[in-house]
Amino acid sequence: MTRILSAGLTLLAIVGLTTCSSPRTPSATVRIRWAQDPGNLDPLAPSNPYATESLNLLHTYLLASDNITGTPAPWLAEAIPTIQRTDSLTLITYRLRKKARWDNGEPVSAHDVAFTLKVMNCPGLPNEAVRARFDFIEDVLFDKNDNRHFTLVCRGRAPEFLKASGDYPILPEYALDPQRTLRSFSLRTLQKNDNTFAANPVITAFVRRYLAADLPHHPERLPGCGPYQLQKWHSGQQLTFKRKRSWWADQLRPVPAHLLARPTTIEYQVIPDVGTSLLALRRGEIDIYPLVPAKDFYRLSRSEAARRLQFHTFDSYEMVTLGFNTRHPLLQDKLTRRALSHLVDIPGLIKATQQGVAQRTVGLISPHNRAAYNDSLPLLSYDLTAATLLLQKAGWLRQADGRWLRRMVSGQTQPLSLTVSYRAGDPLYEQVAAQFQTAATLLGVPVRLRPTEASVLTGKLKSGEFELYIRTLMGNPFIFNFAPILHSASVGTSNYTGFGTPTSDKLIEAIALEENPKRKIRLLRKFQILLQQESPLVPLFFLPYRLIASNQIANLQPSGLNPGYEVKTIITQSAN
Amino acid sequence: MNTPLRTTNRRRLLASAWLSFVLLLALLAAWLPLPYAPATTDLAHVAEPPLQTAAAYPHHWLGTDPFGRDLLANLIFGARTALLVSVPAALFSTGLGLMLGSFAGFWGDTNLRVALGYWLASGSALLAAFLSFAGFWSTTAFLLLSGFTLVIVLATPRLRLLRHLAAFPADRLVMSAVALLESIPRLVLVLVMAAVQEASVFNLLLVLSFTYWTGPARLIRADLQRVKHLPYIEAARAAGLSDFSVLLRHALPNASRGVRTAFPLSIAALIGLETTLSFLGIGLPAETASWGRLMATVRLEPAAWWLIAEPGLLLLGTMLALRQLAGTRPTTV
Repeated sequence: MTRILSAGLTLLAIVGLTTCSSPRTPSATVRIRWAQDPGNLDPLAPSNPYATESLNLLHTYLLASDNITGTPAPWLAEAIPTIQRTDSLTLITYRLRKKARWDNGEPVSAHDVAFTLKVMNCPGLPNEAVRARFDFIEDVLFDKNDNRHFTLVCRGRAPEFLKASGDYPILPEYALDPQRTLRSFSLRTLQKNDNTFAANPVITAFVRRYLAADLPHHPERLPGCGPYQLQKWHSGQQLTFKRKRSWWADQLRPVPAHLLARPTTIEYQVIPDVGTSLLALRRGEIDIYPLVPAKDFYRLSRSEAARRLQFHTFDSYEMVTLGFNTRHPLLQDKLTRRALSHLVDIPGLIKATQQGVAQRTVGLISPHNRAAYNDSLPLLSYDLTAATLLLQKAGWLRQADGRWLRRMVSGQTQPLSLTVSYRAGDPLYEQVAAQFQTAATLLGVPVRLRPTEASVLTGKLKSGEFELYIRTLMGNPFIFNFAPILHSASVGTSNYTGFGTPTSDKLIEAIALEENPKRKIRLLRKFQILLQQESPLVPLFFLPYRLIASNQIANLQPSGLNPGYEVKTIITQSAN
Repeated sequence: MNTPLRTTNRRRLLASAWLSFVLLLALLAAWLPLPYAPATTDLAHVAEPPLQTAAAYPHHWLGTDPFGRDLLANLIFGARTALLVSVPAALFSTGLGLMLGSFAGFWGDTNLRVALGYWLASGSALLAAFLSFAGFWSTTAFLLLSGFTLVIVLATPRLRLLRHLAAFPADRLVMSAVALLESIPRLVLVLVMAAVQEASVFNLLLVLSFTYWTGPARLIRADLQRVKHLPYIEAARAAGLSDFSVLLRHALPNASRGVRTAFPLSIAALIGLETTLSFLGIGLPAETASWGRLMATVRLEPAAWWLIAEPGLLLLGTMLALRQLAGTRPTTV
């Protein structure tokens, strides 16, 4: 009896100890590091790439895009839409998936698509940025016999229309407008953005309801037809997305690649500090660390911990830019902007921050796009002499005490003294800002640094309360639409520099509408020349994406497009 | 001279020498022949250990930080920042504490009797100040409140009703303010105040001063409560000296010894606080050199021991020296 008892106790002890010392319990939870909080989860006005990543989990779009080739793939659409072109119009005909359902069991219909487009154009809503991107869609034609079948009527002709026509989250009409009040307005009427419409009682009531829902902070009030629901959001700390128990796409056989949603839980941990993030990765508290600084990436790859991790590097379309507030009296003329551009030591910065591995560029087009990249333009040089000459040409005179002064039309003199704003806590921005300040000091231009909290910075950029900024800009290798960042119509929303001349506006519109590839390339090259001459924003270099993930993660599909991985396809140890 | 006394004096001498050295560095920072300015970045030499630079470049004798900034220049200018913030903040907070503590300790709750008119005028002036500070300000409100204050001040000596004396509860008010400020951890309070203001040396100085006066105030209050009952103070009163005269000429010189002793400790604490805030990236402008900010860069380069060791040694030495000065008294042989 004693033997049996002692054997039992020993067995229990062994089992207990084994449980204690085993690696962490495998689960289908994926934990990802984010550098900042998404801030605003309103589908009309996502404030940063993290917000867009969140919205991709909550909602579905008509079309998805292959990260590597850029070819469109059907997402909520049943198949790639058909295109018909007339002299001045493009007709894009879609059919929605039969199984697509909202959370209340109702099918997703053409009216939901029309409703989404109307919301994107409704006056009084924070939709300025999306309106600028999608204003080419001017009407939706329904099929009386099939409520999944519809045609988007697009103004003009452009090859990008196909991808762009399906690149927005589809919103549920039943949740936001159960009385279907917006059906009485056509998309064309709403697009007029007439003041009389803003005062219309129906529109006013809808806008009031929409704003009262406080979607930027309560996305759960807008149930999307995506695979995930937001379970928890501790602002600035963590976001947890839970997979829906039964999602409509689970019934599809075979499940299309873009409708896969493997992780049962996705946890985004907001850790702004790089060192803390690395520690969390080493301790196994996060599974994926995207956008790792170069130094840490290579240091970790040589460390003991590398055995438990996988390392990926990709050329990305995200570029570091120096932007000028072209509305500011000091920076209104292009010569001053160009002079200041020469103060950035790009090769030195690439060496210091990216271990020498980053792609320089003459403009917003990636050098990987050999046809459109204007290689006849010179790369920006770090040249204090050129900067001095350009400043003198712009009317600035260096005083005996080293300062620069310029006489204005009013007779008053203005001193050249600048502030540089950037997101606080990011070593890359700090390095660029510090180098710029050093060079400017050598030239006699006092520069003050303004590291600012991310959401405050976005607000200041929108309202034009800055002089220079440093930030990264997300490029898209497949769509060339520069209207949101450089068209005068986007000033006050997403065109932070405030730039926009009749010539540049016309060129940007021509690029967006041009469908002949050769002519488009010519226009793109011309645009790069214009951008270098005007210098409202100066692309410094394209960042390589460096991603570190735990070995327990598979099928990351790393790519050069933000965020650098495909979270929905990830397979964890338990799910494998 | 016995051994402990000799040791104490040696320590004191060492502390004074160290502080003089730091003070000299801080004062002469702008004129020293440093190869680099503190904000200058050298991208070719990023996170470089001490004494490593090639001969072609001016030497980074003490190494560089992860942004390529020279450590020697940053340590020297960091000393200047530490002193520029801590010494005026210590002076101002001690002055404020001395003033408020004296009111509380010398007059207590019943001995300071003020005419009703002046009560009203003070209330009106305080309301104006509060409205101005809180941003609820308008020209009309300013004119009304200023006019009211002026009228009351002028009318007080003439109207009997306004001349009626009422006790000013100085002790209760000051001690309530002390209790309120000390109920919140100082670092948390300073962090909150510094975070809502624009980063500048002056603002940081104000924040530190307005949160640090409570210590000196408590010290002086306690000492004055003891001193004011001593016979020589009673004698001074009996001789017909005014309260202010008794306080300033007779009570304070005797009661302020504790505050004088604690003054170096205040500087040490404020240097520590400034370093902590800079380490957290709050309070000072990004381009201002600081020991705390330098130490914070070690997060970007964990293997760079010199980023912690060099400013850490300076900070430790300065704080120990200040404590040494506060803890010992000059000894004559």
